[in-house]
Parts: sequence; C-alpha cells; structure tokens
Amino acid sequence: MVGRLPETSATRTEDMPTRAPRAHLAVALLLLGALSLTACGTGSLASVGSSTPDDRAVAAPRLGDVEALADPRTWQGGSTASLGEAPLRPVAEDPRPDLPVTVTDAQGTEVRVEDADRILALDLSGSLAQIVFELGLGGRVVGRDVSTGFPEAADLPLVTHNGHELNAERMLDLAPSVILTDTSLGPWSVMEQMRDAGIPVVVLDSHRGLDNLRELITTVADALGVSEEGRALARRTQREVTAVRAEIDAVAPRAMTERLRTVFLYVRGQSGVYYLFGDGSGADALIDALGLYDVSTEIGWKGMRPVTDEAIVAAQPELILMMTKGLESVGGTEGLLERLPALANTPAGVNGRIVDMADSQILGFGPRTAEVLNALAVAVYAPEAVGAAS
Amino acid sequence: MTAVPLPATRRLAARHRTRVTLTLTTLVVALVVMGVVSAGVGQLRVPPAEVLGSLLHRIGVDAGPMPAHEFGEAALWDVRFPRVALSLLVGAALAAAGALMQGVFGNPLAEPSVVGVSAGAAVGAASVIVFGIDLFGLWTVAGFAFLGGLFTTLLVYLLSRSDGRAEVVTLVLTGIAINAVAGAAIAFLLFVGDTQAREEIVFWQLGSLNGTRWPYVVVVLPLLAVGLLGALVLARRLDLLALGERSARHLGVDVERTRLWAIVLVALLTAGAVSFAGVIGFVGLVVPHLIRMITGPGHLVLVVASALAGGLLLAVADLAARTLVSGADLPIGMLTALVGGPFFLWLLRRARTSAGGWA
Repeated sequence: MVGRLPETSATRTEDMPTRAPRAHLAVALLLLGALSLTACGTGSLASVGSSTPDDRAVAAPRLGDVEALADPRTWQGGSTASLGEAPLRPVAEDPRPDLPVTVTDAQGTEVRVEDADRILALDLSGSLAQIVFELGLGGRVVGRDVSTGFPEAADLPLVTHNGHELNAERMLDLAPSVILTDTSLGPWSVMEQMRDAGIPVVVLDSHRGLDNLRELITTVADALGVSEEGRALARRTQREVTAVRAEIDAVAPRAMTERLRTVFLYVRGQSGVYYLFGDGSGADALIDALGLYDVSTEIGWKGMRPVTDEAIVAAQPELILMMTKGLESVGGTEGLLERLPALANTPAGVNGRIVDMADSQILGFGPRTAEVLNALAVAVYAPEAVGAAS
Repeated sequence: MTAVPLPATRRLAARHRTRVTLTLTTLVVALVVMGVVSAGVGQLRVPPAEVLGSLLHRIGVDAGPMPAHEFGEAALWDVRFPRVALSLLVGAALAAAGALMQGVFGNPLAEPSVVGVSAGAAVGAASVIVFGIDLFGLWTVAGFAFLGGLFTTLLVYLLSRSDGRAEVVTLVLTGIAINAVAGAAIAFLLFVGDTQAREEIVFWQLGSLNGTRWPYVVVVLPLLAVGLLGALVLARRLDLLALGERSARHLGVDVERTRLWAIVLVALLTAGAVSFAGVIGFVGLVVPHLIRMITGPGHLVLVVASALAGGLLLAVADLAARTLVSGADLPIGMLTALVGGPFFLWLLRRARTSAGGWA
C-alpha cells in the first residue's frame, strides 16, 4: 500500500525505530505489523498541484504557428509543456454579483447564496478557483487550495494541509461568505462543519473533463450571481477548445492505429507511488483531445490505480504524460527508467518520450483548457518549438 | 480470615488508598485544565476571555466578552469543542480497552492496535464507507466497527491462548497476522472505493480528529459509558483471574463467561474509539502500564484511572497535532506511535528479562 502523501506513509515506515541494532527480529516485525496499518493508505492523488507556481520552461507557442514533426514517432527525448507567464484573462472586471440566488448543487442540496464578497473555491484540481478568477471575481477570493498555483492567487493563504486535507479553523478564520467545492477534498465533515457554522457550501460535480467544462463554469457562475459572465466564459472556453482541437486534428495522425499509444503516469518517487490514470480520471479525456491513442481504454483501466510492471510492458506506450513534480521526484527521465525498469522495455522508455506539465495545470480542466491542450500538443507534435532537443 | 491485620499491612493499605485518591484527583484536575487549555488554543485565535465568555453565554450567564471574530463562536462550538470532547472520549476508550485486554489475556502487551483489534474495527467501519451502507445513520459505522472489532478480538483470543494465558510471542505474532489480513482488507476496500471514500479512509488510517462534529461525540459517548461500566462490574473478577485460571475458578469466578464479556467490552470500546478517529495506536498500551506503576494492579482503580489518563494523553496529543505546525494538522496516530513505539520496545525487553523468557 502506498501513501496519501509522498512524505507520509512510506518514508515514515522507513523511519520507524525498527532499525534499533539490537532489537529482536520479532520486535521489528511486530512494530512493522502494528504500524503498517497506520502507515498504509492510498495514493489518493496526493500532491496534485504544487504550492508554488512553477513555470521555468518556455511558454508554448500556438500549435498552428509551428512546424510539426512529420512523424511524431521519430522524436527521441522528453519535452515540457508550459503556459509560461501568461496571465489570466478574466471576462469581466470585478462584476457585481446579482444576489441572493438559490441553487441546487450536484448533491441535490438547495443552497442559498446571499453574499459573494468572500469566496473560497476549493477542489483537487484547482479548477474551481481558476473559474472564479476568470469570471473576474479573483479579488473576492480569500484563500486557496494547494492546487491553485497561478501567480494571481499564489499569495492567498492556504486552507489545506498534508496535501489535500481541509482545515476547518483555517477556513473559518478567513470568514468566507460562500464556499464552492466538490467531493475531492477531505474530510467531508469539514464541509459539514462549515454548513453548521452557517456558511453556504455549493458542491459541484467532481468529474473533470471536456464534456462538462461548460456546465462546470456556468454552475460556478450561477452560484456566485454572475450568470452572464459565466455564459461568456463558457462560450469563450468552448470556442478556444474547438479551435485548438481543430489545430490538433490537422497534425495528429488520422488513423487510430497511427496515433501514439499514450499513458498518463502519476508518480511520486519517494513513496513508491506509480499510478496509471484511466477511465474517468480526466487523463483519458486529455489523451483523446490530444489526438493520441489512450492505452488505458484499450486495457479497460478504470480510475486511478497503482500499476504493475507487467501492465506497463503489456501496454507498450509510445508516449508518457506526467506531472512535472512527479517526474522531478524520481530524478527525471533517467531516474524514472531506473525505478521502473519495465518502462525501459517500452517504446516510450527506449526513446525517453516523456511529456510533462506542471501538476496544477495538466489535469485542471477549466477556462484554460485550450491553453493546456495547446501546450501539450506542441510538446507532443512539435517538441523543438518548446526548446526540447532530440 | 478474622485475624487482625498486622499494623504494617494496615499502614500499607492506607498509603495505597492515599496514593489512589491522589492519583485520581490529580488526573481529574489535569483533565479539566487540559480541556480548558485545549479549547482555548487553535488556528483561529480566540483570546481566553472570549472563550470563557462564549461558554458562559451558552449556559445562560450573560458575562464576559463574546468572540470578536465573525466565526469565532462557530469555530469554538462547531469545530474545536466537539474535537476536544472526542479526543477525551477516544483516549479514555482506548486506554480502558487496553487495561481490560491486558487483564483478560493475562499479558502486558495486549492492546487494541498491537493485536489487530483496532484494525479489525477499521475494516468494519471502512466497509460501511466504501459500500455506502446506511442502516442507522452514523450508528452504522460504529455498529460495523463493533462487529469487526468483536470478530478480531475473538480470533486473537482463540488463536493466541494456551493454558489460559496468551504467551508474548504467540500474541505478538498473532497480532502481526491479524494486522496483515486487516491491512489487506482495507487495501482492497481502498481499491474498490471511489475517490471520496478513499480520502475518508486514508485520513483515518493515520488517525485524526479533524472534522469532528457533535453527532460523532453523541455516538461515542454511550459506547464509552457502557464499556466503562461493564469494565467496572468485571474488575473484581479480573483481579481474581490474575491469580491464575484455576485459582479464580476455585474462588467462584465463571472464567469463560468473564472472558467473553471482557472481549465484548473491548470490542465495544475499540469500536467507539475507531469509528470516527481512526486507528490511533499505543494509547491502550502506554497508559495502563503507567497507571499500574502508580496504583498497582487492582482493576477497579486501573480501569478508572486509565480512562482518565487516556483522555488526558489524547487531549494533549491532539492539541499538539493541531497546533505544533501552524496551518497543519499532524496525524495524531503518528504522535502516539512516536511515544508508544519506544515504550513498547522497553516493555518487551523488560518482559523478556523479568519473566525469564518470552512466555
């Protein structure tokens, strides 16, 4: 079993006093036994997102403006997709919310929002905070989750700890007047405590993908009384996504069999977490939209689950998508191949074909999805344009 | 038995009584002080005067300032107070369960988390979360935790006992096996569970009181009350059992029934502790031992004092967990294991040298 956090479970087990030189073997075994339960957990998507904005790589140009590789298979080496320092583009400047509104949230709860002066928007992927900022309400946001790493929000106080655990007193301390969240952060009872305290909590669908982008944006906007801005933002996002997908279609191989076999690996080096993201994780939608071939669908991989060496070899990926911090945590491509020798037996491993992107961006479906898709597509189809060398 | 006790014996008894009274009084006072201190410290700053004011207003006394922070009152009553209350209850339940287990197993190393009872209870509770079982609301979690705990306690009891005693080695190895199987069961539950269920379970495998609400306290309180009362009723018989199974039988103790009841009580107390706080280790080990050093092995005092000291220990640990690092909540199980682990090692070594081997 692996840890909820890179620095919790596995490392802690290693640090247990089982190393006492003279301790009897039984003692060591016992302690391990007694503590394995304390120590085991899942890699519940531990540290998606970083607490600091991290954009050292070159911002990707438009896919349509660069020359794509004639055959994306021939490329060797990794490439990094980045949004660079591109600022957010709010659809309005501090719009005046039309409140109060009563909305029925994703759990069927009727929530009445009377005041949107102090907003907390928290989820695992950081999408919700991004939507609020793009709606022009960034100035009203009072705190952030660990996945919200864009510069405009970086100075806000964090209300999560140990990765993605909510801290009730921190949240109350910020005196939010409305909280937007989904069920991806825990413990859920903290949200119930917020409701106990009389703060309206609007729960959104925790699914992230291209299929519900529009709905996600408009629901957030409706709950904050800026429906019109919401529609505008949803329209803009949809338009941009359509445009980028058209550009991707122009360079991606037409035949399914010609497309690069791709897997999304979630790796946290220190704790030995190797997850393959499959159906419903958001990675599947990303891979499809990039004109790549989703191996996880082929092998019927559901959700986010630990992956075995054999599954990796059997999958024979030609390209691997990863989070930047994840790749760093194992010491880059070389370290990854060393730790997961099975990868060396796949075309992606042989060619070192790994595309990485900042943790807080790669799966954060939201208003910037088009930019994310573009950056990834450039890293896949025209790696030279983002400074990668073969 | 009509002989007049020797003066020396009488003096000893009197000294013991004073000692017990002193210990219990100290514990009660420390518990109250700790409760107040704990309630006054947290991530959202509420000055002590305002905490007091808020308390007084709730009980109808119109004195003292109310919390100035907009959500100060909510932070106290919806977040902090239930958490402090649950830490006291869970600590008491774990320590009392440890004291009972050590009595019934005749073994100083018996403890809910070491022998796998906590893990068994956790499997029960986790299956409720994963499969979304909802028979009696919040009580469902506690109920399944009880069943899981009862099953594992019985299992450990049957597997580790020979000639009326559980040998250290057997008990310890049984614990490893049980913990392994329960760990596997939980891993499986995590595997099939959705993201939200997973978050909830992971969170509690490390033991945490974050997110405690009053309804949890309401569920745990009666479990603890029944468990403690039962333990007090059994105390005398457990004392006799300590003389050995045969002697106890001669003194009129129904040994099997006593054991069975003690096991049910252990499961009840452990379920109360695990249902909402997760697996917090070593409290049931450390506390009864410390108490025994002070007040001797009599179960009546041992159970009561252990419960008090357990509550105190967990309240301190939880205060440390939520305030040591600003903005972070340390896993409380980590803190108790940090203290409990070395203590456990020391106990093992002592058991080996003093009892002349591993038996």
